[in-house]
Amino acid sequence: MTVLSLLTLLFVVALSSFTSATSDYHESLNLQPLPQSALLASFNFRSNESQESFDERNFRYFPRALGQILQHANTKELHLRFTTGRWDAESWGPRPWNGTKEGGTGVELWAWIDASDDEAAFAKWITLTQSLSGLFCASLNFIDSTRTTRPVASFELMGDHPASSNLHLLHGTLPGEVVCTENLTPFLKLLPCKGKAGVSSLLDGHKLFDASWQSMSVDISPVCPQSGECSVHIDQTVDIVLDIDRSKRPRDNPIPRPVPSDQLACDTSKPYHSDDTCYPLESTSEKGWSLTEIFGRGLSGACPLTENVDQEEPVCLRVPHEREVVVASGAVETKKPDGFTRCFTLQPSTPFDLTIPEQEVTTHVPLDEPVLSAERTIVGHGQERGGMRIIFDNPSDTNSVDFIYFETLPWFLRPYVHTLQASITGRDGLRRQVPASQFIRESFYRPAIDRERGTQLELALTIPPASTVTLTYDFEKAILRYTEYPPDANRGFNVAPAVIKLGAANGPNHPIYIRTTSLLLPLPTPDFSMPYNVIILTSTVIALAFGSIFNLLVRRFVTAEEATALTAQTFKGRLAGKIVALRDRIKGKTAKTE
Amino acid sequence: MATPAALPPLPFNPSRVRSYVLRLPLFTRLVLLAILVFWLLEFQTMWSVVQWGSVIPEEAGFGTMYRLNTYPFIHLGFFHALLNVLALTPLLERFEAEHGTLTAVALFIGPLSTLPAGIYILVEKFVLHRNTAVVGSSIWVFLLLGSEAIRTFKSNPYFSLGTTKIPTWTSPLFACALVSILVPNTSFLGHLSAILVGYLLGLGFLKIFVPPEKVLRWIEGKLNLLGRLPHYVSVDQKTYGRYGVLPTTTTGGERGTPMSFLGSSQRLGPTTTAVIRKLRNNPHFLFVHLPHILSFICIVAGVVWLLLLPLNDYSRQTYISENALLPGQVHAYFSGSEQHIFRGYKKELEDVLAGQTEDGQERRNDEFTPAVSDKIQSILKATGLKFATQNYEYTSSGITHQGQNVYSIIQAPRGDATEAIVLVAAWKTVDDELNLNGVTLALTLARYFKRWSLWSKDIIFLFPPDSKAGTQAWIDAYHDMQPAFVQPLPLKSGALQGGLVIEYPFDHRFESLHILHDGVNGQLPNLDLFNTAVSITGGQMGIGTNLQEMWDHDDSYEMRLETIMRGMVKQGFGYATGPHSSFMPYHIDAITLQTKGDGWQDEMALGRTVESLCRSLNNLLEHLHQSFFFYLLMQTNRFVSIGTYLPSAMLIAGNFTIMAITLWLRTGYYPGNQQSPQASKSTKEQAATATDKRDDKQSPAQPDANNIIERQLALPLTLVVGLHLLGLIPLYIFNNISHKYYPTATYTSILANLILPLLLAAILSHGLNPKPQQYLLIKSFSLLILGLFLSTLATLNFSLSFMIGLLCAPLSFVNRINPHTNSCLLRYILATLGLALLNVLSPSVVLLAACKYFGVDVETVLTQAAFGWDVWGVWTQVVVWCVWWPAWVSGCALVGFSLFSS
Repeated sequence: MTVLSLLTLLFVVALSSFTSATSDYHESLNLQPLPQSALLASFNFRSNESQESFDERNFRYFPRALGQILQHANTKELHLRFTTGRWDAESWGPRPWNGTKEGGTGVELWAWIDASDDEAAFAKWITLTQSLSGLFCASLNFIDSTRTTRPVASFELMGDHPASSNLHLLHGTLPGEVVCTENLTPFLKLLPCKGKAGVSSLLDGHKLFDASWQSMSVDISPVCPQSGECSVHIDQTVDIVLDIDRSKRPRDNPIPRPVPSDQLACDTSKPYHSDDTCYPLESTSEKGWSLTEIFGRGLSGACPLTENVDQEEPVCLRVPHEREVVVASGAVETKKPDGFTRCFTLQPSTPFDLTIPEQEVTTHVPLDEPVLSAERTIVGHGQERGGMRIIFDNPSDTNSVDFIYFETLPWFLRPYVHTLQASITGRDGLRRQVPASQFIRESFYRPAIDRERGTQLELALTIPPASTVTLTYDFEKAILRYTEYPPDANRGFNVAPAVIKLGAANGPNHPIYIRTTSLLLPLPTPDFSMPYNVIILTSTVIALAFGSIFNLLVRRFVTAEEATALTAQTFKGRLAGKIVALRDRIKGKTAKTE
Repeated sequence: MATPAALPPLPFNPSRVRSYVLRLPLFTRLVLLAILVFWLLEFQTMWSVVQWGSVIPEEAGFGTMYRLNTYPFIHLGFFHALLNVLALTPLLERFEAEHGTLTAVALFIGPLSTLPAGIYILVEKFVLHRNTAVVGSSIWVFLLLGSEAIRTFKSNPYFSLGTTKIPTWTSPLFACALVSILVPNTSFLGHLSAILVGYLLGLGFLKIFVPPEKVLRWIEGKLNLLGRLPHYVSVDQKTYGRYGVLPTTTTGGERGTPMSFLGSSQRLGPTTTAVIRKLRNNPHFLFVHLPHILSFICIVAGVVWLLLLPLNDYSRQTYISENALLPGQVHAYFSGSEQHIFRGYKKELEDVLAGQTEDGQERRNDEFTPAVSDKIQSILKATGLKFATQNYEYTSSGITHQGQNVYSIIQAPRGDATEAIVLVAAWKTVDDELNLNGVTLALTLARYFKRWSLWSKDIIFLFPPDSKAGTQAWIDAYHDMQPAFVQPLPLKSGALQGGLVIEYPFDHRFESLHILHDGVNGQLPNLDLFNTAVSITGGQMGIGTNLQEMWDHDDSYEMRLETIMRGMVKQGFGYATGPHSSFMPYHIDAITLQTKGDGWQDEMALGRTVESLCRSLNNLLEHLHQSFFFYLLMQTNRFVSIGTYLPSAMLIAGNFTIMAITLWLRTGYYPGNQQSPQASKSTKEQAATATDKRDDKQSPAQPDANNIIERQLALPLTLVVGLHLLGLIPLYIFNNISHKYYPTATYTSILANLILPLLLAAILSHGLNPKPQQYLLIKSFSLLILGLFLSTLATLNFSLSFMIGLLCAPLSFVNRINPHTNSCLLRYILATLGLALLNVLSPSVVLLAACKYFGVDVETVLTQAAFGWDVWGVWTQVVVWCVWWPAWVSGCALVGFSLFSS
């Protein structure tokens, strides 16, 4: 059995448990060592509230702060993700929760809002983002119309909604948002035990955000079983991949200095091995660790608010049964029949710790091959245009993969969809140019409007087995107004990760989500000291060059004698002369002229 | 009618002031003189003038009556005197001009000083019981202001400010109040009494003091004052007020004509005007000699400008512009047991090298074989890094360059593949030496860097097999711009922010680091990167740095100049000086660090330098953009920025444009076929200038202004454009034939260069029989294109523009020798000399000479150039064959025409 199916199992278990209770709370922690001294820790916190009490604002486990925001913003279903780092699918295998509980780098938010029309929905959406921004200390309020899209096929409703409701899906991302402790603290406050007890007591900002990959999610959806009353479910997860070596470093000495020579693990079989020459030997044994070491603090017993504290087994560890595991007294260990999973019960207010010594093992927890791997990069160079290249690799030798590819591009990246081209590389390494329509079953494209909305591109693709398909298209970089540049304009502009939704991989109800890495788009950036210099320079040039040239052009150089003659010749001059003469005659004087 | 002369209107004109001062009337002058004399008298200490002459109420008595007359002349200091003089002069001058000198004397010596003083003493002494001494001519100022105010009030009673009407006679009161507020130690009472008297004067109550006109006339007549006294204002001369009728004669001469502004400018620069007039009268000089002089001055100035740059006044100390870099602010920990690992890795690589040597062969095989590639990959794999390979194959000049790049990526622990730094360790250095230590160091660093969690950017370690093609193939593929025979990259990261190349090609310890920074086509990395490297190497690690192979730079002028020159030569040729050069076209700043010398720095010191540099680059929040991209370095810590050095190349490029424009003007106004009687027969040694002179002298000295002739453009345009297009042929040939034929091609091109201009000249002169004007137009167009191109190029590749500009400089001065002015023999001799000189400066001959001078093979140079064209995208050849060569051929053809003209 694989981790994938295990997680799916958990998921199903979770769903089934929802149906029974009207208001309860469950939490769990799954630990799984991954290759290359990584450790995946999946925290899951679930609670629910009956629809009736939710509507009456009678909250028990459901966080009141969030509930009120949802009611205020007419939001029926909410999904919020905070993610940092990238999931290394090559080493770590498939994503936890099949990628359904993670977002792209930064913050990702999508919600179904009940509203009469698009404008009303958008107004509610802005209300929602503003409120969540305050609640989670994140810049969610920067999700404006240019970052908001309305995906067509990429996201599905998770809960059950009455058919009468008029739901609008809105989706927004902030790829540049840095997720950190200020987001974790409000996240923990939503939990009934608020990080003081239960598995959430392990969550420490220092260790959590030192992780190689980290994702926090909040999902809220109504669930209506066939029989019984509806309830609103909230599902919070924290998934982290910790580097065991790095996490075990003491906090007062975190610098990975070179180890003393005598502690160096060397390959003594090398002929040149000596005191001062060492070929490093990477240890093959599994790393030893304990919860306290890894998380920097211990697990302070079960959360007393959990249903059936005694029967729950909130902490599960996925290592081969042959590995030795030392647990604190009082905890009961249950080994599952699959040979790799063991779970532990927790006692309220009794600290729990779990220690795994370093051990040579023969069996390893098998990791699934990822169903699809995707890579998206910006290619080309220069300030004016560039290209996007998306590579899909289907590792399966037999099955083709169907999926929805969804990307939102900022308006200043102007794609030329007509340049969309595809090439396919088989296992033979030969690259063939083929029409893109061969892979694209359906496409939805909504072009951008400058400064109003971004581009939305959704493609339904099919990748044949054992092949790599490369999609490329060209784009043009817009020139922003100089006030539109952020302070760090020369860093480049973040482009949100693409979302890939694999359909019926494990049944129609549970799609797999993959997200690519976010991109950095360098835009033509002015030298911001330039306007000042330019104004000064142009003013000087105009004053000097234009002034003197204009002067030269309009002025006629004549001698003084010529000037008098010329003045006398012009109509005005003659007229003036006449007037003077006339006046002199009237006054009876003789004007003496030169 | 002109305004009265007494009121100098604005704009302020110094010459008018002068004339105004010179025309001051007599009494005013005397008053001013008296004020000056009393002011000077105050400098002596024995006798206090102020004490003697001021009005002191307590001392009022008959014995001190003189004070009532002396006080207006006495002042308390320079500024007091100056301000009062400035205020008094125009008022007094006007009064005197209106009333005559005698009246002014009578009034000012008498009642107009004594009355205000008397009022003051009365009020001060008997009303206020105070004793403040007053002094100064401000009394008169306010007195005259008061009388003027009354006069203004009569003609213009109110001054409207909104709805309120202010009587104009109050204006002196305002002035008085303002002065007493603004200027310290002013006597408000004194001024007030003066204004009072002024009002009385203005209202005519003081007329009784004015001597009768008859008496005045009599005195004037008896004494002949008008004849004896200069600047005397006669009773008759007086103007009877400003608004009286003035004789027109008095103003006409002074005010000048309506064109007087022209007159004044002529007065300011008589010499300039004379020069311009002379030029206008001498168009031969204007159109023929002056441009040559200007062009020559431009060239000389351009060269001299460059020679000035190494001086302290024209160059600057380098500094770190980007604050985020923080060079040398971190401790570098790469030391200790890492050296053991370094040795271990090195042994591994040496084993591979030893393994691939065939038996019995002494010399080990240094090639980057698949075995080496595999070993590097296995080490990277053991370290736990992602790695990939890329094969490439380039063919240039019939030589195939192929290899395999190995690279690996340390993914930033919390990064998102948006930014990356590249560390390059080529298997072979720029000088084709085995870079074993460099590669080993990079491998050790990769393992060491992996442990750090602070990287905000991915770090890419690239191991190309050579320093020429490998990096180029990799960077092209990274941006998906690779040619067909270069594999795409299977593993990628984000936008590259900087690149470092490590070269350590020997086994002993090193002394200093040599920093290479020149990119392809003369592009340079941001100066901040270079400065950071110098700062870290020198400041933090204590390792010396060198630049442009200047091993013992003593910071003297010569050394600085030599460094600049070496940099310019590299920049001008535009070839890649190291693996870092390939990054530059993609706007990625990169440098190469080469270890040099035999000292006590070991590989760990280099490793720490690289670590610190990577940490600095890792700090970057934005792409390097703060500092200069265009600079000339003369020392590791001194540079010249583009604003300072650019004029040098621009001046040289400008010389062609000047010549082209004047030739264009000349062809329009200046028919060349007219015979000039004063054509001189003098000869000059220099063929180039001489040929030109011949042509010049034919022109008439006084051309008719209406002598505008039509330009016949077809032939010159066709020829010049055709020659530029013809340049594509040598460009193609020199970049595409096999390397074996390069020497042959060079010699052929020299021969072709010899024949082609003569052939052109022969065909054109016999077939089309061009007019003299068309010869000038050919030169004009050719130089115009050259000038335009070089000035544009100067902003992109300063050095190339400068070098080509200098080599083309003679083209400004060569011309067809006019067949009518010279004897046949002389013409042939001059033309042949000119052609010989030009041929020495042909692109091919310059290439050969340069190769001889530097002692390199022509074949090597051309192979390298073709490689640069094919792989690096160098476009120096385009400049040579499509800009320089066509201009050169046109110049030669022009000289050649003189051989064939009928």
